[in-house]
Amino acid sequence: MASKASFMRRTSANPVGLTRSDVLDISSPLNDAASAIVDDSFLRCFTSAVDEPWNWNFYLLPLWILGVVLRNAIIFPLRLLTLLLGALVFIVAFMVAEALPAKHRTLAERRVVQFMAQIFVTSWTGMREGECVIRYHGPRPVSTANRVWVANHTSMIDYAVLCAYTPFAAIMQLHPGWVGLFQKRYLNSLGCLYFNRTQAKDRTLVHQRMRDHVADPNSMPLLIFPEGTCVNNEYCVMFRKGAFDLGATVCPIAIKYNKIFVDAFWNSKRQSFTAHLLKIMRSWALVCDVYFLEPQSKQPGESSQEFAERVQAMIAKRARLTVAPWDGYLKYYNLAEKHPDLIESQRRTYSAIISKHVVPL
Amino acid sequence: MTQNLADVDLRKRELAPSRHRETQDLPLANLIGEVDQQEIEALYKRFRRLDKDRKGFISSEEFLSIPELSINPLAQRLSFFVESINFKEFVTFLSGFSAKAGREEKLKVMFDVYDVDGDGFISEDDMAQTLRYLIGSTLAEAELRSVIERTMVAAGADAKGLTFAQYKEALGDTQLALNLEVPTGD
Repeated sequence: MASKASFMRRTSANPVGLTRSDVLDISSPLNDAASAIVDDSFLRCFTSAVDEPWNWNFYLLPLWILGVVLRNAIIFPLRLLTLLLGALVFIVAFMVAEALPAKHRTLAERRVVQFMAQIFVTSWTGMREGECVIRYHGPRPVSTANRVWVANHTSMIDYAVLCAYTPFAAIMQLHPGWVGLFQKRYLNSLGCLYFNRTQAKDRTLVHQRMRDHVADPNSMPLLIFPEGTCVNNEYCVMFRKGAFDLGATVCPIAIKYNKIFVDAFWNSKRQSFTAHLLKIMRSWALVCDVYFLEPQSKQPGESSQEFAERVQAMIAKRARLTVAPWDGYLKYYNLAEKHPDLIESQRRTYSAIISKHVVPL
Repeated sequence: MTQNLADVDLRKRELAPSRHRETQDLPLANLIGEVDQQEIEALYKRFRRLDKDRKGFISSEEFLSIPELSINPLAQRLSFFVESINFKEFVTFLSGFSAKAGREEKLKVMFDVYDVDGDGFISEDDMAQTLRYLIGSTLAEAELRSVIERTMVAAGADAKGLTFAQYKEALGDTQLALNLEVPTGD
């Protein structure tokens, strides 16, 4: 707010005849407003990468055309076929797993869901998990009581990328359409928890179930995306503190996508998830690094908020993200309506100037 | 900046713009003079980003969904100017805030924001309303009125209020904080 500071400096430096310009000059708040209109640090977190044209050149154009044909006419159908066949096998295998006696059932179901995640990953990379395009770094997570995994969030594909390596139960928004069916029918077996982010009641319920899940030593590793929304993998928005006041050890996971072939950011306002998947499947490959970082515990005297910020900083550093102060839920509500105090604090600045001109009656 | 810009009346815009109006009305350059190509491109990207549902115009809700704007004390007042504007109007609106805009243009923008009822005079009521946006309820009505009266007298207003010329005169050589730069980096 440099302009506001200069506003105050200006007025205090010119005490003679200050009435008129103090009251009449509204250039400072107007400039703040216009600056926010042309650029703001919130929307930047949710901006898809722009494709820089590189192909308009006599030598590159034929190659590019060849690439387009190859990707759309050969690679894409093969991947789609893999995905559909894989899904078919998955559906049958899941039914078989369900029919097993309880002792083996959970394990089998988890294995089958992991298989499906691997099929998804194959349909984006053309390769099996762990083979060069998606690289996993650090120790493979193991299930123990009182642990929770947190990761930065770019798209729902994050979940498949992680599950292909090791299955997780996750806290998710319940989606409409085929994704919702998939969540309800299959992911339940992993102990995934669903909620609707706009319902405060849902959130308290999930928090309780999260505690139960983490306390249970036999449950799946629990994965939480504390940003609560998809960010473009360039920024990292505020971590919600739910995962950090469970009293559990937090294991950070940093996911960094390489945008060389395709932008993994799912802009849910602009694109359906299906369209997002098709876009990835028609690209050369999804390139990504996943880092399992050192588990962290809350330090004595550290608040949940500070703990969340510390873990956020770790993830942001590893995934080369810029930390932004915004709450990602601002996508769904208007800041001023939720926090009228923020306008009030700005108003106090102006009111301090105007009230200098009040003449006692 | 060309002279015709200063004459653009920000309030008398037709609403309900058509989806493709900005392409029909090209070249924009006629209108916006010194705003260069890069800035236009950057503004166009920005416009498309703000136009969440791709209607070809931006609603005031879309503007107020920018957190930093929504907490601006004048946001409510400004949302009146930016309701359903298409790209050309968007650029015209912003050009008055630009660091490159002339003093006259900047003053015109400020005057128009102040002149709430749009009759060409800043009346006491206009001023009361604008100051309420700016300071909220921190001052009592009588206190605010006393400030307004004193300002009016000092600025030489007549019964109807301040004219643009008087407004300009009253601000004298006050340095205006309007110095908008369009980021063209990314």
